[in-house]
Amino acid sequence: MRRALFAITGLAAGTTALVVLKGSPAATPVAAGELPAGTVAVPGESAPANRAATRPPSARPSGTPAPKASASRTPRPKPTASATTKATTSAPRRTTAAPRTTTAAPPATNRKVTGPVVTNEFGNVQVQITVSGTKIVNCVALELPSGGQSGQRSDRVDAAYSGTSGQVVQRQSASLDTVSGATYTSRSYQQSLQAALDQAR
Amino acid sequence: MTYQELDAAGRRTGTPTPYGGRSAAPPLALPRRGPAGRRTLGALFWLGLAAAVLPWWLDTPPGSLAGPADLLTAAGRITGLVAGYLLLVQVLLMSRLGVLERLLGGERISRLHRDLGATLLVAVLAHLALLVVGYAQVEGNSVLAEVGVLLTDYQDMVSAFVAAGIMVTVGVTGVRAIRRVLPYELWYHLHLTSYLALLLGYGHQFSNGAQLYEPGPVRTGWIAAYLALVAALLWGRLLRPLHFNLRHRLEVADVVAESTDTVSIYLTGRRLNQIDLLGGQYFRWRFLNAGGWWQSHPFSVSAAANGRWLRLTVKVVGSHTADLRDLEPGTRAWAEGPFGTFTAAHRTRERALLIAGGSGIAPLRAMLEELPAGAALIYRARQPADVLLHEELEWIARSRQTSVWYVIGSRDDPGPRQVMSPPGLRRLVPDLLRRDVYLCGPPGLVDHAVQVLRAAGVRRRNIHLANFEL
Repeated sequence: MRRALFAITGLAAGTTALVVLKGSPAATPVAAGELPAGTVAVPGESAPANRAATRPPSARPSGTPAPKASASRTPRPKPTASATTKATTSAPRRTTAAPRTTTAAPPATNRKVTGPVVTNEFGNVQVQITVSGTKIVNCVALELPSGGQSGQRSDRVDAAYSGTSGQVVQRQSASLDTVSGATYTSRSYQQSLQAALDQAR
Repeated sequence: MTYQELDAAGRRTGTPTPYGGRSAAPPLALPRRGPAGRRTLGALFWLGLAAAVLPWWLDTPPGSLAGPADLLTAAGRITGLVAGYLLLVQVLLMSRLGVLERLLGGERISRLHRDLGATLLVAVLAHLALLVVGYAQVEGNSVLAEVGVLLTDYQDMVSAFVAAGIMVTVGVTGVRAIRRVLPYELWYHLHLTSYLALLLGYGHQFSNGAQLYEPGPVRTGWIAAYLALVAALLWGRLLRPLHFNLRHRLEVADVVAESTDTVSIYLTGRRLNQIDLLGGQYFRWRFLNAGGWWQSHPFSVSAAANGRWLRLTVKVVGSHTADLRDLEPGTRAWAEGPFGTFTAAHRTRERALLIAGGSGIAPLRAMLEELPAGAALIYRARQPADVLLHEELEWIARSRQTSVWYVIGSRDDPGPRQVMSPPGLRRLVPDLLRRDVYLCGPPGLVDHAVQVLRAAGVRRRNIHLANFEL
């Protein structure tokens, strides 16, 4: 029985550590796939240290604005009763607005989700979407190939896809019409967008 | 059946031959089996756990968890992946796969199953609670409304909630205090429904699991794990016992009273010399007569493999064991096994001390024939009439230079009290700390003996317990 208690404590601690490690915005701006797998098992003593350090200047425009970083820090995720009760007590206040189906969720929280940088032979593409509930309300290209012909192509792609009334918001998905003459940029845009959508889901 | 017939037959010598396992070679001790296999299994378990959570780690970019809803959902996903993995491990542990039974042993498996079961219960509850609350925050619903939304709008969630309910029921009835109150049959059948939980929980992992929804290596690997589990279950629970029983066709040859409340059951069959049986191991037995075919009970074999017969020595304690006295010769027996790591091969030292209580002598008697010369046996019994297999023990003592002490009396009598104390044991067995200790007997005696041995300085890993309680 003692070992079961250890195991349960380990589960709680491990989950907390993983979430904190991922939640801390100061984690290195390297793509997640390049992190050593070993870090999964190690409960992160390094997380607070990372957080305390000033944010390293990232090479690309970072998608996460500063205020959000602090938001992720405050609720210490203790995945047990405390988190549950806190949420349940606050919930009944909202019940009047509650009985609605999922698809038409009220615009409770706007979340911004940033896709990864996708590189093609003309430059980098990175997309950020704003999600309200399960709906995409805005889509912005943080980075597109620039300069000369590439810049012109990028402008056409941006005009077709981005914005609150662009194709992304209209279609609510990453299957978009390819902009003729800008196949590579269109494709990279869709890739970054798809990744962002997967995250948002 | 008289003891004279047993003398040569009851001894395992050299390599078994097709003619009954006797050869001219002097008695050999079994080679040891180290803990390497067990450690490999442990490493595989941790690797599997890491592999189960790794997809989440790789799919989640650092810094993307903003706000409490994201954090709750992330924690819910992690606990979900862990729970899914643990459920697979739990069922695998109970698959009676030969590898597991050989490397871990029934006693350790049942302990692991209990501890992992408690963890799984918590993981499932955490997964459920975290995700319901997390989704409720994202979609702006109350928690109860969110449960309704999950049940109606999401695929496979009804069966997932049923599966969670089953797992909670199974987990709660597994708590020892509650289990003791329940009748065994109810507990057993409730536990059988966990297969249903496996089935019902399957769908939602793929239709709603963020990491498993997309076709790709993760999804394929997860499905492969399920298929491997089903294969292991089929093999361990069905094909292997079927093969064993069709091959050996065990049947009851004779039932002999050893004392007023103990019987020995002799079984014969075909190709008995080809059973890979070590002294101290057990089978799960089903006797195929009208009253007993539906229940299976573990009993140790009480004589080392000899190629001609198997023997169980069973104390009558309940209605099932009472029925065993009336077994007719010729009754077919269905056996699953042999299982267990309570054998001479699993010792870590050259010499051994065996402590038996009452009918607990059975596996130790079988093991004595396979231990190197110089073993010691302490046999606790309440009264002289309770000493079983007395003559056989004398023969083994003579032929294998084994010291045997019979310690007779109630636990509080001065004799047993003196022997079952650290100085008493050290006086009987001066090299106690350089021996492996094997214990088999009633729980009270075993618990007490473990305490005494630990107090005398014997390390835990040198103490071997035979225990089939599950």
